[in-house]
Amino acid sequence: MINFQYLRTTTAKSALTLLQKDKNAKFLGGGTNLIDLMKRGVTAPEKLIDINHVPLKQIELVGSKIHIGAMATNTAVAEHPLIQEKLPLLSWALNAGASAQLRNVATVGGNMMQRTRCGYFYDTEMPCNKREAGSGCGAIDGFNRMHAIFGTSDKCIAVHPSDMCIALVALDAEVVLATPKGERKILFKDFHRLAGDTPQLDNNLKADEMIVRVEVPLNNFAKNAYYLKVRDRASYAFALVSVAAGLELQGNKIVNVRLAMGGVAHKPWRLTSAEDFLKGKEATTENFEQAAKLSMTGAKGFGENDFKLTLAPNTIIEALNLAKSKA
Amino acid sequence: MMENRILKDENDRVDGFLKVTGGAKYFAEYELPGLTYGVLVTSTITKGKITSLNTKEAEKAPGVIAVLSHLNKPSAPAYEQEGGSPMKIFYTDKIFYNGQPIAIVVANTFERATYAASLVKATYAKEAFNTDLEKALKDTKAKKLQGQPDYKRGTENAYKTAEVKIEQEYVLPIETHNPMELHGIIADWRPANKVTVYAKTQGVKATQGTIANVFKIPIENIQVNSEFVGGGFGMALRTWPLEIATVMASKHIGKPVKLVITRMQMFTMVGNRPAAIQKVGLGATKDGKLTGITHKAFGESSTYENFTEGVVNMAKFMYQCDNVNTSYTIVPVDLGVPIWMRGPGEATGAFALESAIDELAHELDMDPLDFRIKNDPEMDQQKNKPFSSKNLKEAYKLGADKIGWSKRKNKPGSLVEGSWKTGYGVSVGVFNANRGKASVKGILKADGTLVLQSATSDIGPGTGTGMGLIASKLLNIPTSKITFELGDSSLPPAPSQGGSATLSTIGSAVNDVCVALKSTIAELAANSNMDATSKFVDVLKKNNLPSIEVTKESQSGKERDSYSMYSFSIHFVQVKVHSLTGVVKISKIVSVGDSGKIVSPKTARSQMVGGAVGGIGMALTEESILDHRYGRYINNNFADYHVPVNADVPEIEVIFIDKPDYLVNPMGAKGMGEIALIGFSAALANAVFNATGKRIRKLPITPDKILA
Amino acid sequence: MQSSDNKKNSGDSRRDFLKKSSLITAVALTPAVAMKAAESQADERFAALFEKIPLNITVNNKAYKASIEPRVSLLDYLREELHLTGTKKGCDHGQCGACTVHVDGARVNSCLSLAVMNEGKKITTIEGLAKGEELHPMQQAFIKHDGFQCGYCTSGQIMSAVACVREGHANSRAEISEYMSGNICRCGAYPNIVDAIVEVKEGGANV
Repeated sequence: MINFQYLRTTTAKSALTLLQKDKNAKFLGGGTNLIDLMKRGVTAPEKLIDINHVPLKQIELVGSKIHIGAMATNTAVAEHPLIQEKLPLLSWALNAGASAQLRNVATVGGNMMQRTRCGYFYDTEMPCNKREAGSGCGAIDGFNRMHAIFGTSDKCIAVHPSDMCIALVALDAEVVLATPKGERKILFKDFHRLAGDTPQLDNNLKADEMIVRVEVPLNNFAKNAYYLKVRDRASYAFALVSVAAGLELQGNKIVNVRLAMGGVAHKPWRLTSAEDFLKGKEATTENFEQAAKLSMTGAKGFGENDFKLTLAPNTIIEALNLAKSKA
Repeated sequence: MMENRILKDENDRVDGFLKVTGGAKYFAEYELPGLTYGVLVTSTITKGKITSLNTKEAEKAPGVIAVLSHLNKPSAPAYEQEGGSPMKIFYTDKIFYNGQPIAIVVANTFERATYAASLVKATYAKEAFNTDLEKALKDTKAKKLQGQPDYKRGTENAYKTAEVKIEQEYVLPIETHNPMELHGIIADWRPANKVTVYAKTQGVKATQGTIANVFKIPIENIQVNSEFVGGGFGMALRTWPLEIATVMASKHIGKPVKLVITRMQMFTMVGNRPAAIQKVGLGATKDGKLTGITHKAFGESSTYENFTEGVVNMAKFMYQCDNVNTSYTIVPVDLGVPIWMRGPGEATGAFALESAIDELAHELDMDPLDFRIKNDPEMDQQKNKPFSSKNLKEAYKLGADKIGWSKRKNKPGSLVEGSWKTGYGVSVGVFNANRGKASVKGILKADGTLVLQSATSDIGPGTGTGMGLIASKLLNIPTSKITFELGDSSLPPAPSQGGSATLSTIGSAVNDVCVALKSTIAELAANSNMDATSKFVDVLKKNNLPSIEVTKESQSGKERDSYSMYSFSIHFVQVKVHSLTGVVKISKIVSVGDSGKIVSPKTARSQMVGGAVGGIGMALTEESILDHRYGRYINNNFADYHVPVNADVPEIEVIFIDKPDYLVNPMGAKGMGEIALIGFSAALANAVFNATGKRIRKLPITPDKILA
Repeated sequence: MQSSDNKKNSGDSRRDFLKKSSLITAVALTPAVAMKAAESQADERFAALFEKIPLNITVNNKAYKASIEPRVSLLDYLREELHLTGTKKGCDHGQCGACTVHVDGARVNSCLSLAVMNEGKKITTIEGLAKGEELHPMQQAFIKHDGFQCGYCTSGQIMSAVACVREGHANSRAEISEYMSGNICRCGAYPNIVDAIVEVKEGGANV
């Protein structure tokens, strides 16, 4: 690791100013992903701007939305009474990720900025278009068991690794960004990008912008929700497939539904066609199966990850069933 | 030296206090004046030659003291001739595998050495390579070597003509030991060729001997210290090239050098359990008597050193069967050389054989437990000798009762509850009840304490605790007054800690020392007209002796010629398999150990539990994945190479038969480090089959394979 | 990992710049002492002047002042600078938990924290858990239930276990297992570790 410069700041404004001064600078939050990547030589910023003292840790109800500051830790969010009561799906998704130690320092903003866990991305001696544009994709014809089945490109089939983001995209969250021209808002579902021809870009955050907070509208999914994460071991592992499911039921009738999937795409994957199908229908396994089938339109395997074509719909069905029986 | 605190319970670990307070010192934790830090540069190609190595930038970087490579190799007399085994680090420009150390950068801090290592630039002439066992097997031109003489008893391939038969292939991936402690060494080469190392080794004498050999210096010049070892599981059974490189570096710069390799490097530099492909054919009569066993194994090895292990041993004696043939072939591929990993080859073989036994029982529509009992051997047919002891029938019954075997249905997929299917599996494990030769010194002191010394190791099983208990019973001294010193090459010689032999080997010497001390005390008592029951403290005081000491060398007697000596285990597993997601949850484990007398009940139980956890990893989660196009590992870290975590492990019941076998050693105890794991993966695969009807013959059993 | 024949190291240019410029600037700022240093080990001294930053940190109730490179992890600072080697390096990437310490009371992986990020913070390591010879109840319970074999993950397990109870995540075996899954034990002492935590939790001792 190069001996980078380290600066500390206590306001969002000064953080932005410092960032704009130096193209090779990066924000340092919990550091759980960035320092890991720096140790592996995947990234080598010359300047780190420590933003841990920037007061963006609020978790509060503002009107009909819950505001979560970008610097709130994963633990603080997951354990906050307001989140546990109103947005349990978010709490469960957070607790399904990483370990207690990592969640204690990992932040909401950092979680959104997390890079993929693709082995080719991490090994600087392997080809990876995300790490080094134009070097090729090792995974497409290589070890792709963990990789995407939706929205892939011939440049990159990496998946977004977060659990938190799967819940947030399901819950129609919005992201508030500080920019040189003041704040701007972006829908959570539009924050992350598909790989396309620019796999080096994970999201639509501009180089001179900073995540300030996430806003989640209140909803009626708290009663019947489930975050189901299928992985290679019982805990502390990235998802093969995960599903965030929220049902708003009247009797057995689905009034409203939210579905999103992780471990299948370069971004948190919202299942809108399945949602549309389920709205107004009975909450039956048959309908869940239909919805799961609809969700798989356009899915494509790359060999070792073909099993996800079966696992993904199965996980959707199981998550919906578990959400339904939750109450 | 081990600090001996007052123990609340004589079965507690003697080093428990140090381990729970952070006071136990592992190799990398010794403070030496002028200590420097080494970091390895590794090859980024799989096979070929280094054509240039630019170290200039690294040498100019702040804090850098030296960069060593084949360009400026320091003197190591045994390495002057190229080629041959072992790999001679820095004495060749040849690349044998991806990740091979090609240079060591030494600097005054770890961070500076790490950064400078990233500045070393190599260019290579690449050659074609292969890291894939399956591909090598298909390639008729690829080199294959006999790993063990072929074995035949009765008719070859008799299973083929049996009334009922199965013939299957079983595949194991590469597994990596991954002890929690990173490997490395501190080497301190001083004037007059005096060398002190702080090592992570399962054998201090072996490390001492290797260094003496490489540098051709007298063995007495070398002091190896290794009091605490943060796990080994076999990977610390040899002195690796990286350790020699560090000694070279210290010799070169005249300062102590510390090298701690990275977790990524743990996958390439310190061995692994090699991938294996095994073909098993079994035949039986309709009423379930085995009539033929054929076990053929192909195991990976490296191109620069051969590696063999006991993959097909178990097939030769585990079951009563007149027709048995085995073969074991090693296949060199362009990877780092493997090394025995817990249970070693026997665990590899047991997965295949014990899965096949389950498959045949299923073909016969027999309960696999009944099938095993029916074919339980009366004697060892391979050696044509009686077993020194074997209580398997009793063990089967105890374990079956505990797991609730009666609830098992022979028809797979019978026990369904919602999305979860329940299944039960069983498997046997077996390993040589080894005993080697070792020396122990005992010093009995007038202050009531006993010090025992031997150059053995403790990688975790609790060597000192077991030895203390043996001595405590023989001399009637509380364990809190006994100190066992180990991990120091200047102590009386002992073999490396491996092959489940430490308690048997060193314990026997402890036994002999205690018996000798006892008789010396009795003699002294008689000579000074004291009662024969006098306390040794009083006897020593009366004789004005501050202490007496005895050194004994101990080894097996002739019994070994007349008996077949093995340690046995039976693993019972209950699993739940999710029909939609393919997730396997282990709900219950019962492991039964038939390993003679249990000397140290608490640590023995822990060892069985630990073996089962290792078995869970082998069965469900562990696989070192290579991209064969590049010859590089894809998941060489703890996030992507999944060793079991706490949430994977249910409560584990351990049952010991606990019957002494005095033919093996004076304690009547047999080793159990290996049997704790051997067979476990088959029990799990068999349970998955019983739950789902799905037979998984390729480990690990991950959700994708269940869904396939 | 360290080797590369095709990688650009963006640190090079800055390093070169420092090497060239630091002499001039530093000499201007610092009188005789630094001049002497410059003659003997210029690179070393100036690297320190320009690249180390001050750190005030409290470890096990003892205040430390240091001047440190920002790239030094909290883990390496504890082990290599303070010689508090009870905290272990198992992976150096936040994937095993062997390096778990408490920072202002919360358990964290010290390998993924830069020492300088902990300015003004209070760190507790395994060495700070016992009160002299009197072990913390969790340490006693680990001995009693044999919650370790080789002992290398033990410091991290115990620091994590204490936090697990304090956080209120020790209400069942399943919950304990889940919240202890960030600490890998290769020897496989997990059931014994859970036994130890259950005992401490049920014993109601002040952890």
